[in-house]
Amino acid sequence: MATTTTANHAEKAEIFCRDEARVDWHSKALWLLRQKRDRAASSLPEWEELRELGSEYKLHTLSHLGEYLEQFEANCIKQGIQVHWAKDGAEHNRIVHEILAKHQVKKLVKSKSMLTEECHLNPYLEQHGIEVIDTDLGERIIQLNKQPPSHIVVPAIHLKKEEVGELFHEKIGTEKGASDPTYLTRAARQHLREHFLSADAAMTGVNMAIADQGAIVVCTNEGNADMGGNLPSLTLHSMGIDKMVPNMEAASVLLRTLARNAIGQPITTYSSFYHGPKPGGEMHVIIVDNGRTKALKDKLLAESLKCIRCGGCINTCPVYRRSGGYSYNYFIPGPIGIAVGAQEDNTNTTAWACTLCGSCTYVCPTKVPLDKIIAYQRRLKAEQGTLPYGKDRYMPIVGKVMGSATLFNCAMSVARFSLRNLPNAMLKPFSGAWGKYRELPKAPKTSFEAWYNKNRSE
Amino acid sequence: MKIALFIPCLVNQLMPQVAIATLELLEKLGHQVILPKGQTCCGQPMTNSGCFNEARSTVLKLLNAFKGVECDAIVCPAASCLVAAKENFHEFDDSPEAQAVINKLYELTEFLHDVAPVEQFTRPFPHKVSMQMSCHGLRMLTLAKASELMSPGYNKLEALLNKVPNIEVVYPEPHDECCGFGGTFAMDEGAVSAKMGKDKASAHANTGAQYVVGYDPSCLMHLDGMIRRLQLPIETRHLAQILNEAI
Repeated sequence: MATTTTANHAEKAEIFCRDEARVDWHSKALWLLRQKRDRAASSLPEWEELRELGSEYKLHTLSHLGEYLEQFEANCIKQGIQVHWAKDGAEHNRIVHEILAKHQVKKLVKSKSMLTEECHLNPYLEQHGIEVIDTDLGERIIQLNKQPPSHIVVPAIHLKKEEVGELFHEKIGTEKGASDPTYLTRAARQHLREHFLSADAAMTGVNMAIADQGAIVVCTNEGNADMGGNLPSLTLHSMGIDKMVPNMEAASVLLRTLARNAIGQPITTYSSFYHGPKPGGEMHVIIVDNGRTKALKDKLLAESLKCIRCGGCINTCPVYRRSGGYSYNYFIPGPIGIAVGAQEDNTNTTAWACTLCGSCTYVCPTKVPLDKIIAYQRRLKAEQGTLPYGKDRYMPIVGKVMGSATLFNCAMSVARFSLRNLPNAMLKPFSGAWGKYRELPKAPKTSFEAWYNKNRSE
Repeated sequence: MKIALFIPCLVNQLMPQVAIATLELLEKLGHQVILPKGQTCCGQPMTNSGCFNEARSTVLKLLNAFKGVECDAIVCPAASCLVAAKENFHEFDDSPEAQAVINKLYELTEFLHDVAPVEQFTRPFPHKVSMQMSCHGLRMLTLAKASELMSPGYNKLEALLNKVPNIEVVYPEPHDECCGFGGTFAMDEGAVSAKMGKDKASAHANTGAQYVVGYDPSCLMHLDGMIRRLQLPIETRHLAQILNEAI
């Protein structure tokens, strides 16, 4: 399934919704994560304080980003880490390829990194004859299934264990019909271990970059990043400029909320701090902008860079749970995907894949004002003249009618009369998506204003 | 108190019974109630779609209906419209007169809970009611602690209903997930909106309650359409309708 198509969010969501049993399963699986998150968060009396601290640390860092990035680079160099700067995805991919080519790397083991998704690194390296193995279990599943992630933390959440069983039977030779998660996980581990041992280099994403340490933090539950980081002597780590934090105190706060908010775990099983290369090895950090400084220039969009990619907003999102990760036309789905990716969406519809319910904003561990950013993305689309769903045609009319008492009362009288007196079959063509799924409102005889004038004449 | 009613377009045109109940309830509580002329939509359908230019004349028309009206409070029985009115008045008019209007805006639940608290309702309502915690009232007007937050719990809607003798308050599961109305979302994203509505209506019905009670008429209208389509044994009621019966 490609991430960029001409089908808009509503169309893709409608297709997803046709299999209601699957929607229910998908929604329930994600709601379970939200419930686990609630339990984990409620176990900390200081939870709301941690959210506020997380928000303040990130805002502070973003507003002094230049200084912290330079401090980070200087401290990295002191510890023998080589630092590279990439203005966009293409430059990032070139830098990565140059490093790998220089060491004649044939096979790269990679642990989960949404940034490399953003830069489309895998296809780029494969075109250049380098084999890329995603080593995170979920990532490996979708890589074998030739799909992009449908979620940023649980990338294969859309697949049932039976489907994974079938896939593994076909690709890595597990028993036919086997779908026991423990059996499948062990098989995957065995399969990945062979790759770890034969890899020439390893690559990871970065959850946090600590300025005063010159260290990066990588959080995983499977230890796959550490297998990669410790087996080959060449390691690469890609990070967006937004991953900066000033110091260990800030990192500690975010580490306490990251896994709890993602899946209700107190902390990831492995939270590794990398301070430098192995003796005789090389460690490279590639720092990527790719539009982030542009977002920083806008006071509201800048707040989207506070995100620590826990996925909590995606789990709670009632629209995501019922439309799936592939409906968003961007490599990050859900509220945060809309907040950071709406301008990349050539269908101009994902900004409307949201009821503005605000659950995401309340869940967010760094208080990203997601609902406000999504509403703002719509405003930007309107200003650019790229409104979806015919809004450019009907909104001016709605504005005119509602701005005029005579027009509005007249229109609504007709509507009330129609709803009361016309058979449903006649109304259907006019009621669009409403009448397709719901009964039309029972219309009253008159408006309240008419009733008031009759019963409470002043 | 002297109260000016803010009756948003949807309530005025399609749910007058909610406005009548609000008016009668406030009068029974001893307030003097007026209905300023020339009200219209709060502009939310346009501004929620980013169409601020198209919303301007409508929003200013509504604001002008309240400018200079002598009253202690402007009360609205629709949380989402009230939030939009507040934000949109701000957006299009930064005059002191506009600020004076904004300062007097209250949603009915918060008015009855915070501004002119009611001690006790007298007439029993011996029914089980399922709480419809609509999003904008919940998360923008903070009428209750939302389930995402870990701060101390409170719920103004429940507190008011619990002042009615013999009522039984229950919650759907999940407590406060969006019902899927979302204004034009119901049209733009018909399938997802309908699935959300179906799940929400079923969750309410599963409580065994006779009524879904809320403070947001638009969500109640959405749920009503869904409940009738699914033929579920439950009906929607606005808070004002329940309280007006109980006094």
